[in-house]
Amino acid sequence: MNHEQAPKRKLLAVFAHPDDESFICGGTMAKYASEGVEITLVSATKGDMGRRMGNPPYLNRETMALAREQELREACDCLGIGRLIFFGIRDKTVEFEDEASLIGRIESLIREVEPDVVLTFHERYGGHPDHCAIGKAATAAFRRSADKGALYYITFGDAMERPERYGYTKKDVVRVDVQAHNAAKLAAFRAHRCQTEIDEWVWQSDKAALTRFGKYEYFLKGDVNATQRANDDLF
Amino acid sequence: MIPINRMEAEAELRKFIGAEAYVHSEATSFLFVRNFKVRVTHAFIAGEGSFRAALRFDGHGWLRMEALTHFEVDGQGRLLLAGYDDRGRMNVALHLGREPFPE
Repeated sequence: MNHEQAPKRKLLAVFAHPDDESFICGGTMAKYASEGVEITLVSATKGDMGRRMGNPPYLNRETMALAREQELREACDCLGIGRLIFFGIRDKTVEFEDEASLIGRIESLIREVEPDVVLTFHERYGGHPDHCAIGKAATAAFRRSADKGALYYITFGDAMERPERYGYTKKDVVRVDVQAHNAAKLAAFRAHRCQTEIDEWVWQSDKAALTRFGKYEYFLKGDVNATQRANDDLF
Repeated sequence: MIPINRMEAEAELRKFIGAEAYVHSEATSFLFVRNFKVRVTHAFIAGEGSFRAALRFDGHGWLRMEALTHFEVDGQGRLLLAGYDDRGRMNVALHLGREPFPE
């Protein structure tokens, strides 16, 4: 077994807020990082308009950006994400950014990184206006620039266990087994302290907290016509 | 941020009377306004436990906010007032500074 010659696999994740990478797909991040995949994460904002200010609260609106930036850096260490880029957009305003320039920024990043896999939010099912806006821009950028690679949309929890409910079929879904990486995911949850202090379960014993995580994380294929890939692996 | 003492917080708010102030105000789940500039003419804090703040400005304007619980004067001389619920979630914020807040 000689992997020396194998080209580095690369993953680019384009998300909106610190914690998206951990709360939604932290197990997958940790899994691929542990396999040597180079991961680049974009967080469009610093989550500076969040509502959870610690419990009891120790943040205010003006201290939040720096606190959440530091939390995200720590979470990246927990998950094995090697490169972190902030776009510097104010939280809750991504949909009001100039779309062409936002697409352009992501497009140049895709050309620079040359990722095998791009992850972002679905532009309609993102669940938050910032999510939908960054997902829409990243999808457009991917269509323009990716000569190779595959686009996937991250999904919440076990929703895609039954994709029929959302008008999709099993064929449209990749299910990644993350069980072996839920400990790293839990560490990342705890790194996002001001956001998770309100959730008592996160701070129970590791054993108790880990029972809250599913065995799988689910991704929607961004291009249903792409060559059929394995349904348990993004690469 | 420390629990609001009405007298102290009102004294801090009143320091902005007669001056141009940049204001950040928000009802967290609904709206925010960042960096509108007003000349403050009157400043009030009322209530106990949970407080109301009110500003009159520019000879024709009002800003009133309720559910404030905490305040501080930060290292840059800005007055930060906020309302948290019992689990640390922000409901409202009202910040005044003599310089614009970072955009």
